[in-house]
Amino acid sequence: MAADVSAPTLATRFKRPTFIGAVGGIFVVALIILLIKEATVSPSQFAQTTLIGLTNGAVYALIALGYTLVYGILELINFAHGDVFMLGGMFTITFGTHFFGLHHGQGVVTVPIVFATLLLAMLACGALNATIEFVAYRPLRGAPRLAPLITAIGVSFIIQDVGLAWKGPNYVTAPDVFPHSKVFSFRGVDYQWNHLIVVMITIPVLLALLWLVQKTRQGKAMRATAQDKDAAAIMGINVNRTISFTFVIAGALAGAAGTLYSLWATTVRFDQGFQLGLISFTAAVIGGIGNLPGAVLGAVTIGLIQSWNEGLPWHMPGSDWTQSIVFSILILILVFRPEGLLGEKTPEGG
Amino acid sequence: MTDTVADGNLLVATDVRKEFGGLIAVNDVSFTVPRERVISLIGPNGAGKTTFFNMLTGVYKPTAGSITFLGDDVTGKPPHAITAKGIGRTFQNIRLFQNMTALENVMVGMHTRMRANLFNSIVRTPFVRREEAAARARALELLQEVGLRRKAHAAAKNLPYGEQRKLEVARALATEPQLLLLDEPTAGMNPQESAEFTQFVGHHLRDERKLTVLMIEHDMRVVMGVSDRVSVLDYGEKIAEGSPREVQKNERVIEAYLGKAAVEDMKRQGLS
Amino acid sequence: MEHTEAVDLQSRLSARWKELPEIQRTGTKIVLALVLAALLLFVDKALGFGVATVAAVYWLYRLPPLPWRLAAQAVLVLLFLVLGPASFGILLAGAFAVFWVPERRRSWVVPAVAVGAAIFYPFYQGHMFTIPVFGAWPDVATGVVMLVFVMMAIGLNIVVGYAGLLDLGYVAFYATGAYTAAFFTSQQFAGQRCPTPGVSVANCSVAVVPKHNFDFGAVGVVPGAGGIHISVWLLLLLAGVITAFFGIVIGLPTLRLRGDYLAIVTLGFGEILPQIARNGDNLFGTGVNLTNGPNGITPLDSMGFGNRISDATGGVLPSNFLTCCKASHFGHQIQSTDIFFWVAIVLLLLTVFCSFRLQYSRLGRAWIAIREDETAAAAMGIPLMRTKTWAYASGAFFGGVAGAYYAVFRSATFPGDFFFNISVFILCMVILGGMGNIWGVIVGAAFLAYLDREGLANTGAWLNTNLSATSFNLLVAGIFLAVLVWLLTRQREQVMRYVLVGLIVIDLVVFAGLRIIHLPIEVPLYASGIYGLIILIVMLLRPEGLIPSRRRAAELHEGVHDEPLYDLAHAGAEG
Repeated sequence: MAADVSAPTLATRFKRPTFIGAVGGIFVVALIILLIKEATVSPSQFAQTTLIGLTNGAVYALIALGYTLVYGILELINFAHGDVFMLGGMFTITFGTHFFGLHHGQGVVTVPIVFATLLLAMLACGALNATIEFVAYRPLRGAPRLAPLITAIGVSFIIQDVGLAWKGPNYVTAPDVFPHSKVFSFRGVDYQWNHLIVVMITIPVLLALLWLVQKTRQGKAMRATAQDKDAAAIMGINVNRTISFTFVIAGALAGAAGTLYSLWATTVRFDQGFQLGLISFTAAVIGGIGNLPGAVLGAVTIGLIQSWNEGLPWHMPGSDWTQSIVFSILILILVFRPEGLLGEKTPEGG
Repeated sequence: MTDTVADGNLLVATDVRKEFGGLIAVNDVSFTVPRERVISLIGPNGAGKTTFFNMLTGVYKPTAGSITFLGDDVTGKPPHAITAKGIGRTFQNIRLFQNMTALENVMVGMHTRMRANLFNSIVRTPFVRREEAAARARALELLQEVGLRRKAHAAAKNLPYGEQRKLEVARALATEPQLLLLDEPTAGMNPQESAEFTQFVGHHLRDERKLTVLMIEHDMRVVMGVSDRVSVLDYGEKIAEGSPREVQKNERVIEAYLGKAAVEDMKRQGLS
Repeated sequence: MEHTEAVDLQSRLSARWKELPEIQRTGTKIVLALVLAALLLFVDKALGFGVATVAAVYWLYRLPPLPWRLAAQAVLVLLFLVLGPASFGILLAGAFAVFWVPERRRSWVVPAVAVGAAIFYPFYQGHMFTIPVFGAWPDVATGVVMLVFVMMAIGLNIVVGYAGLLDLGYVAFYATGAYTAAFFTSQQFAGQRCPTPGVSVANCSVAVVPKHNFDFGAVGVVPGAGGIHISVWLLLLLAGVITAFFGIVIGLPTLRLRGDYLAIVTLGFGEILPQIARNGDNLFGTGVNLTNGPNGITPLDSMGFGNRISDATGGVLPSNFLTCCKASHFGHQIQSTDIFFWVAIVLLLLTVFCSFRLQYSRLGRAWIAIREDETAAAAMGIPLMRTKTWAYASGAFFGGVAGAYYAVFRSATFPGDFFFNISVFILCMVILGGMGNIWGVIVGAAFLAYLDREGLANTGAWLNTNLSATSFNLLVAGIFLAVLVWLLTRQREQVMRYVLVGLIVIDLVVFAGLRIIHLPIEVPLYASGIYGLIILIVMLLRPEGLIPSRRRAAELHEGVHDEPLYDLAHAGAEG
């Protein structure tokens, strides 16, 4: 490149904040003040809701990563992803109770059983997700971009009703095997083990994913395909297999989330996938869709917001409005900052 | 129509700049387009020519600088507004509406010059009916001008390549421009088609229709054959400007296209 | 190489098939059809005869028109008039007659006949034959619902089919229309006051009376009843306009987003609005009762032409739909539902008319251009945002009118009526029918609306009575085997083939062995899944829908310039 380009006058890095940015900033400051007020009014409740929010956030993170991985590589919002999560919960119940005889009060034996169930659910959901891609999305690779999106909606509905047919229209209980004893106590409010376990299992899964994407050959193939499918193909990467692999991983994450959520919340229902899926998708968008750490950040944010909204006592809209709040955030982000908090697609994953 | 700048320029671009992150694609280029002339914009690939076009037509917002057309400031205005003002364009890789017929493509070009809206379209007032009929007739005329009258009802994607290019020109003409921007109009044409096209631009567009044409071109026969003035971009900067003959002999231009070694060669051989 | 073997087998078979002379091929197909019909006779007589009739009509059209086809048609019609349900014979005769009309005329004859048939529907509905599997013909009330949903589908078609904007929140427009109707034709905003002057409601010793009352042309309302009551005709227009306005408001910030983000945002609005409706009895804790919360707003005023018009037309146009109708024609006592049905037909015809006019106008061309290539469209002078907003507003208008009419028909509106699945349901109608093609959308919408109201329940009943558990499991296993064979012969990737085979085998084991599916099945429960399956199948096999618009079929199979202008303007340098 010529000398001119290497010696550009890089415009001053600091830009005058835009009007929107200013409004957003004021809003965030107001929110922080509100939260401080809540914390001082009832610190124990604040602590508890925060911790529950983190736990929620962990589950959402697992699901959001699935959305973001698939979007990064195919630019497709996989509507059916949330429902795969739901089936993960159902797999957990079936594998856990029918295959392994998991039930409350088994003691130490619980641990290997839970892990076995977790792995099986991840496998099943991974395979399911890959099958969905193969059957429903791959044939539409060349079609206008909205075609696979519409198909994804169809698949989502199909899976929901599979869940409905499988376990019926009502809540199904999962065995309550996570211990409820307290990890610690803060001003009269307990933080229980079952919450902590969810986070404890999530973190290694996230780390494993990061290692996979950054350090392995398959991960590199994923990143390359996400950046430029055609170039990746020319470089000898089997694009189809890489995409299938991505879907397997995304499905496995959803399966893990399903297991954790079902054992933690102890209920599963066929329409859970839609609700939680949309919340997780919002999380992915907040962080910057295609951006892996962003998805985690967004998930934690949304988890906290939801928990604060539903749990804090002082002038909160309440659980009736959770969905609207989440959707409003989604709309605002997409309209005013579509690249999310952490910035546009960085399929590098870090 | 407002009066243009005193020296009869249709379009005046001043210190126009486009940065993409750290990359400077167009570096403070100033450019004027006088009335009823054919101006060619040439330069090696990646010089910033199409980026410049895109700024003129509103697809990109300039990072800095200003663009004035017919005396009005059009810097950073959206594409449809600039077209309404009187700048029409074709695209480097043909962007016809592939599944529409040739006639429909041209009629879309007339969008800005028509007035039918949602309400009188539903009712189909006499005004709307007249306007549609007139538009249709005019579209057929335009197709006739470029020699595609017989293919009016063929789908654009079914036309051979050369005819697709002509259709793009017809569609751009339908916007009733005063300034026509052609982006590599003869790419992929054989020598005969290029020669015909050169005639079409010089004789028909400039002399008969009194249009002003700004053209990005790589085919030097076309450039030299019809241009009143040639401007050369390289790495986002204007490195030469003048009559075709002057530019042909300009050292910097030769260096840009063929490299320093070629310039040395030519000097040694006494060609200068 | 293994995978080519399967492919070879299929291509060898199809080569052999193509070598057979025409007569043998036709004969084979006829025999196969007859065998299928005979088998089905064992399951359900009507179904067997139905399949045989369809096959007969199909082959009939292979015959030379005169004299063979005419003779065959006459024979078929006579057979039904004498032996089978006479009404079916008449239907066949009518269909045959229409298709004898030359091609050019047929394009308006078919719609004209359809409209005529629709208008007289309440009279002959009770005398029609029973459709195999689906049972009785839908009653007139279902007909009104079908017409309402067809209207909504045509509205969505303008947004999705013409302009190519994927709208997943159409239910928001439906809800806006319905609640507008509720606000302006009910006692929702009556308020309360004490008739004793100067006394508050809380301390009132006598019965409280409504505080606000606004009547304007309403029918069948006690004057002074409280609340806003305007003429329903005005209301329909008002609902359309308000919803259109709402569509513009939503569209302004969101229509510049690219396709998939726009879809999500519209989905968001489609979820937020019903939630506001649900929580609207105590809006944000202020105590304001906007929507009466989960209980909904009911009753709504009835519709009518008013006394003056009614007297002027000698009662033909009833003053109040709900208290009308002593007349009786062709042996059928006219009911209020029939009047609603006829008014709905008129509304639908207006909608279709507007849609047609828009399609072939300057605006319609602009929509198609945007759908094909946004950047080029903008370069041709089409203002993107404004044009897309017009599409949105138009779609919203018709959705609002339809929603308002439906609310008035049911004399109620509840927040539970509005949820995301409805948006997808209407989208499914547009996709099944054929995006962009009005006739296709009408057929798809009518069929799906019928399914939703009656069809699924009827099919479920048929399924549960006519199929034993064994035969059902065999049917499911048969379907899986067919899919398996198809996948095997089309597969080029070995690994995936094995995975698929494995999965399908597991399915077979599950179904056959564990008997997870056992009758009775409550089919309407799985409505959403069925619509999802329809979407999936249509998108994979025939994305242009049942009755496609030629243009759309081409776009879907050949692709369009998909990147939106916003993305292009923010992309890297092109040089």
